[in-house]
Parts: sequence; C-alpha cells; structure tokens
Amino acid sequence: MHKANRIPAAGLVLAAAMLGDALVFAQLDGSGPGRAPAPPDIAQEWRLDNNERDTFGQAPLGDYTGIPFNDAGRMRSDTTPESIWGTLEYQCRPHSAPHQWRGLGGAKILKEQDPITRDVSVYHVQFMRSLDRPIFMDGRPHPPAWAPHTWTGFSTGEWIGNTLKVTTTHLKDGFLRRGSPQTTDMYAMTEFITRHDDILTIVTVIDDPIYLDQPYIHSTTYTVASGTSLTAEQCNGSFAENGGTDRHWVPHFLPGENSALTEWLVKGDPRSTVGPENWVPLEAARGGVKTIYPEYRSTLNGKVSINTLTVPALRSMVSPDKVIAAQSPRDGQVHVLPVQGNVYMLVADGTNITVSVGPEGVALVNTGAPQMSDKILAAVDQLARTVVASPATNRCFGATCPGVWSWSSPYINTIISSPAPARSIRSIVNTSGAPDHVGGNERLAKVGSGFRAGGLDGAVANVEGAPVVAHENVLSRLSAPAGKQAPTPAGSWPTVTYFDEFYKLPTTFNGEGVVVYHEPAANTDGDSIVLFRRSEVISAGDIFSTISYPVIDIAKGGSVQGVISGLNHILDLAFAEYRSQGGTWIVPGHGRLSDTADVASYRNMIVMIRDRVQDLMEKGRTLEQVKAARPSLDFDGRYGSSTGPWTTDMFIEAVYRSLQEKQ
Amino acid sequence: MRKMFLFVIAATVMAGTAAYAHHSYSATYDVSQQVTLEGKLVQFVFKNPHSFVTVQAPDQKGVMQRWSVEWSGTGQLTNQGVTRETLKPGDEVVVLGNPSRVRGEYKALMVSLKRPADGFTWGGRTGEAVD
Repeated sequence: MHKANRIPAAGLVLAAAMLGDALVFAQLDGSGPGRAPAPPDIAQEWRLDNNERDTFGQAPLGDYTGIPFNDAGRMRSDTTPESIWGTLEYQCRPHSAPHQWRGLGGAKILKEQDPITRDVSVYHVQFMRSLDRPIFMDGRPHPPAWAPHTWTGFSTGEWIGNTLKVTTTHLKDGFLRRGSPQTTDMYAMTEFITRHDDILTIVTVIDDPIYLDQPYIHSTTYTVASGTSLTAEQCNGSFAENGGTDRHWVPHFLPGENSALTEWLVKGDPRSTVGPENWVPLEAARGGVKTIYPEYRSTLNGKVSINTLTVPALRSMVSPDKVIAAQSPRDGQVHVLPVQGNVYMLVADGTNITVSVGPEGVALVNTGAPQMSDKILAAVDQLARTVVASPATNRCFGATCPGVWSWSSPYINTIISSPAPARSIRSIVNTSGAPDHVGGNERLAKVGSGFRAGGLDGAVANVEGAPVVAHENVLSRLSAPAGKQAPTPAGSWPTVTYFDEFYKLPTTFNGEGVVVYHEPAANTDGDSIVLFRRSEVISAGDIFSTISYPVIDIAKGGSVQGVISGLNHILDLAFAEYRSQGGTWIVPGHGRLSDTADVASYRNMIVMIRDRVQDLMEKGRTLEQVKAARPSLDFDGRYGSSTGPWTTDMFIEAVYRSLQEKQ
Repeated sequence: MRKMFLFVIAATVMAGTAAYAHHSYSATYDVSQQVTLEGKLVQFVFKNPHSFVTVQAPDQKGVMQRWSVEWSGTGQLTNQGVTRETLKPGDEVVVLGNPSRVRGEYKALMVSLKRPADGFTWGGRTGEAVD
C-alpha cells in the first residue's frame, strides 16, 4: 500500500473508532440522536455545607433584613412568638419548606425509576425532621386547588440543562426562616438544584403574595456525603409545654407589645457573644423590598427618602385572589375529591358537601344551593355506582370460586348484565340553616329513602324520603308558626332535630358511627359538625373555611367565642397522622380539604384577632376606631374582603359585637 | 487516636443537633429577667430535644399555677448527673428561671433547681446551663 494512501485509511479507522466511542458514550450517558444528554444524578446522601445566612443558628428576633416584607408580613411576624412551638398543634411540625434544606442533619435523595424506560419518575428528598418529599418527574399536573396543603407541598421537577427546576404548590403556612418571619399558605416555591461535581447548590425562590412584595430568594450548599446515614428525629411531644391549664392556649403578642424586636440592634444576644448590631439601620432591620436592593444605600446619607426610592422589584407569579377563589370555584360544576374511608368531598359551585358512600347507601352533610341539585344528584349517583355497584373483575372460574356451590361463576353476571343500581340517599345532615347548605334539601331528600314502612308487602315502599337531621334551632330558623310565612318551603325543613350536645345516627352507617355535635353560638345558634368515626373525617360546616373569615351572624345567636370553641372542639376530636399532618381530615364549609394543622392555624388567627379587638375595646376605642386600627391587617389579604356578602368590616363588627355582648 | 477524634466530632455534631432543635431559647424566653418558683413538682419529663419539669407554684399575684420549666436534653443532663430518677412527683423544689416573653404564659427556662429536702442542686456549676 502506498504510504500516502495509508494515512487517510488510518484516519478513517481512528475516526470510526472515535465515532464508535462517541456512540458508546452517548448510549452510556443517555444521550444520542434526538436525545438530550442525561442530567447529573443527584440521588445520594448530602451533608449541609453552608448558606449565606443561618447555617449554624437562628437569626435574632425581629431580624427581617433581606426579606421583602410588606406591612402584613411584618405584623404577622411581630405578633407570632416562638412560644407557638410549645402548643400541642405545633410541637411535631417539621421545619417549614423554605427552611427545610437548611435544617441540620443532612439530606438524602432517593429516586424511583420507570421500569420500562429507566427514566427517573420520582425523586424523594428526606431530611432529619421531615416527611418524605416526592418530586414528580413524570409530567403529572399539580392537584386542584381544593386538595389539601402539606408541609412539603406538591412538587414537580424538570431538568433545564444541568439544573433541576422544582415547582412546589399546596404548601401549609409556616416560616421563611427560623425565628419569627412567617409565611401564609398561599406561597409557591421554586427551587433550582444544580450539581457541580460534589457540590449541590439549591437556590430557593419563595413567592408569598400575601406577605411579600416580591419573592424572597436564598441559597444553600451541600456536599457529597456518600454512605452516611440520615438521622430520623421522632417527635415525642405529647403535652402542653407552655404551662398553665388551658390546652387551647394560643400565645401571641398584641401589636406593639413585642419588645424584643430591636434587642439585637440595641443589646445583642445575651446568650451568645454577638453584641449589639447597631450599625444596621432600623429600616433595613425591619425588611421591605426597598431595603434589599443596592439603591437603598442612597438613602443612608439622608439625602434620598426611602418613600421616593424606586427599585426594580420582581413580580409575584401567584395571584392570591385567583388561588383562593380556585379552592372553592363558583363554576356551576360539581368536583369530586376522595377523602378517606367512605367519605368524599363534593365541591358544588363553591359549597362543600360531605358524602359517605358505601353498601348501605349515601349520607350527605349539606345539600348545596338549590340550582345545583341535579348536578349533585348526578355526581352522587355516579360516585355510588363507581364505589359500590361497579362490576368486579373475574378472579375465579366456576367451582374454583370459594363459597360457590355450583358451576356458575359469581362474576358472570357482571359481564352479561348491567351493574346493580346504586343505593339511594339514606340520610342528610345540615350543619346550619345557611341557604347554600340547605338549598338542596327538598330535592335530594325526596329522592332518598331513609325509612321504610309496612311488613313484607310494604318493605320496599319509600314513605318519607331521606330524613334531614339538624339542630332544632335550624328548624326554628327555616320554619314559621302556622299562619305565618316561613322563610323556606316546608319540604326543605329538617325532619329529625336534636337539642342536646350531640346526636348519634340511630345505627352505624356504612360500617361506622356518625355523630352530629352541636357547636353553640358559633356562626349562629344552630351549628353542627359531623364526625365520621371510622373514616376519621369531620365535616365542619361554616365554623371552618379556607377562603374567608367565619361568617358570624350575631342576630341569629352567633359569636366569635362560639366559633373559637367550635374550632377547639374539632381539634379535640381530631388526630394528626404524623408530624401534625393528615390523620383526621376536615371538610370545611367552603374551601380546600384540611387537617388539624390548618384548623389550628385558622383558630389561632381568630384568637389573635379577637384579643386585638378586645384590647382596643379595653382602651376605649369605638367600633369605627377599631375598624380603622385594622386589627386583622396581617390576615386580610388571605381571608378578608372589601366586597361581597361578608366583608372584613362585617367580620370585625361581628367580633366587636360578640365581645360587647359578653361584657 | 483516630477513633477518638471521630468520636469527638460525632459528639459535637449530636450536641449541635439537640441544641438547634425547633426553637431558640433566647427567642422564647426573656433571658434578662428571672422568676422564682417555689412549689411542688408534678412531673419530670426526661426527653429530647428538651426535658421539662412541671411545678405547681404561685404566680406574682399568689395564684397557684401550673408552670412548665424547660430544661436540657437527656444527653446533657446525664453528663451532669441528672437522670430520669433524679426528681420525683411531690418533691418540694425551688426553681429559678427565665420567664416566657409572652405575657400570661406560665413557662420558664431553667436557670437553677434546688430541692431543700436533700440539698440537691442544679445550676451554677460549670456547664450547668441549658444549652
């Protein structure tokens, strides 16, 4: 062979070899024609390295530097003491999601792979004080807004180059960082997780449109710690750590009462070597979007006022009004959410209906607005058919079927015939006389069949429809004496009333006891909550809402104290499953499905507002002055309203009148 | 020597873990103030991350209250000679503590504890501070 010809041949061989290697490597790293390079593997043990702020301790009380707080966020944080962690409902809570990467003890990331494609379908992140946190990589959507919120929220992930972008929604209220800075349950969180060799960097963007003027961003660094074990700290809190004898004690500061907020500036931390940090301007210490940009420096010499300062603030991606409204959509539709055991939650045009479905039929707690009855009936019927009457798949053949005395498979009928009709509505409970809870009574009770009459011949006769159970004050409110015009038609009135502390359905229903408890002087004088004892579900009626302040009708015997007592009663009856989450599910009258932690947060809010109003009244403030003082400022963005049937002003007035009557 | 070094690191990390449990002491209690509680011990819960002593003792108005006094975790107390058996219900004790920052809350952070009946004391000696 000629030498000149041998070089290209050698080059060809080399090129072929390189190409071959490239193909091999492409296959090994998951890339290839039409396929992006595989992202780095992050599934292993990691050790907390550092972050820019609070790696080894807690920021002092009142240190809000770098937090773009608005007035509401600042007020909530000022009035929420560290002692809250001693209450029964808080002791077992894990770190809030924004702080979870910063809690000591390291992190462990596990992965689930799709058995066919071997793509990562779910990452699971674990911390010392955490529940399992799945990050779904399979493209599934986020749940509807009426689904529960959790400490870890609902996370989905996608790789953008070498960075894993994680989007988290459905988070409970908590804290931005240790100490007092608070969040609402409306925040969304976006994390950018990047691996550089043995370093993992997590940049976290916390977007709370209620308490922040722009998202709060922080970063945390981890290093590889292969093979190390992750400590699991079990919660053993079981008694009130706050002293006293009131198990419902809610520690909080009245506005202006927290004297510790500037201690770190003036005195320093007496338990550490950190002295006074009086070089920090008070304005910056109190946080705020204008203090976190470099432009703020121009105000320090006094020549520029912070009020006139403009900064390029980021915008929130969360529209609180839309997210809150989406928890209870007024869309003319019925949405079904499985809750637990026999129980389902129907979201019917903004009103929740609790449904027990099982072999004995259907029980409803509340019936929605009258115009929704047909759709509610259709949804209940479909639910009952799906849950109880659906054909079972064939699991045996002829005589091999256990308990069958012939050659006929018990499953054959499910193939050759239509499914059995769904059992009907056997009972209805009204938690109050509110029109959107009793509006469907007449229509839904009529198609039900609670009582049967006669002997063998009459056993199938549906005589009275389904009974409607309520406290007798509900009947009193809905009816009128003979000769007078009743506010509602007689067909919608409760047919079984009780007057005592509680009423038990006469027999177990769908295998469980159902107890209706009276909550005196709450929204009105006739409110009830309903406990499904085996399913561990409480239907709370209007005592609890995730979309508004409680509607308190003073004229009908309601009071803020009664609402608080009702919420405390729910907390007494309910259990958390683990780390103050899950367990007994609570269906609010309006809004998303909740648990004890959500009810505790709502109860705490009502107590704080009640005490603030009480304090103002003791100082001699009139109702108008109390309203002007905005005692609910820190909660108004979440639960308040300036328009509609139940405004913040109406709520404050109801609290004021309740306390006035108490005096 | 290497094993000893690792042990020291492990002990340091574990101590840190207990110390940085949920809440901070100076955030919860006003450590510039002190309150003296003289009364009967109701229960002693020896646990992590913090132990608790419950004492029936009068408040400043002389009204008997149920006080919850936060103490160290089990590791720190054990190293200082305090065990699950050290305190018994019914013990008459004198507790000096830092009160809660929240008005109306009957809780304190342990500064010292004395049991006059047998002269048992905790607090004041080197290391005897809740940390």
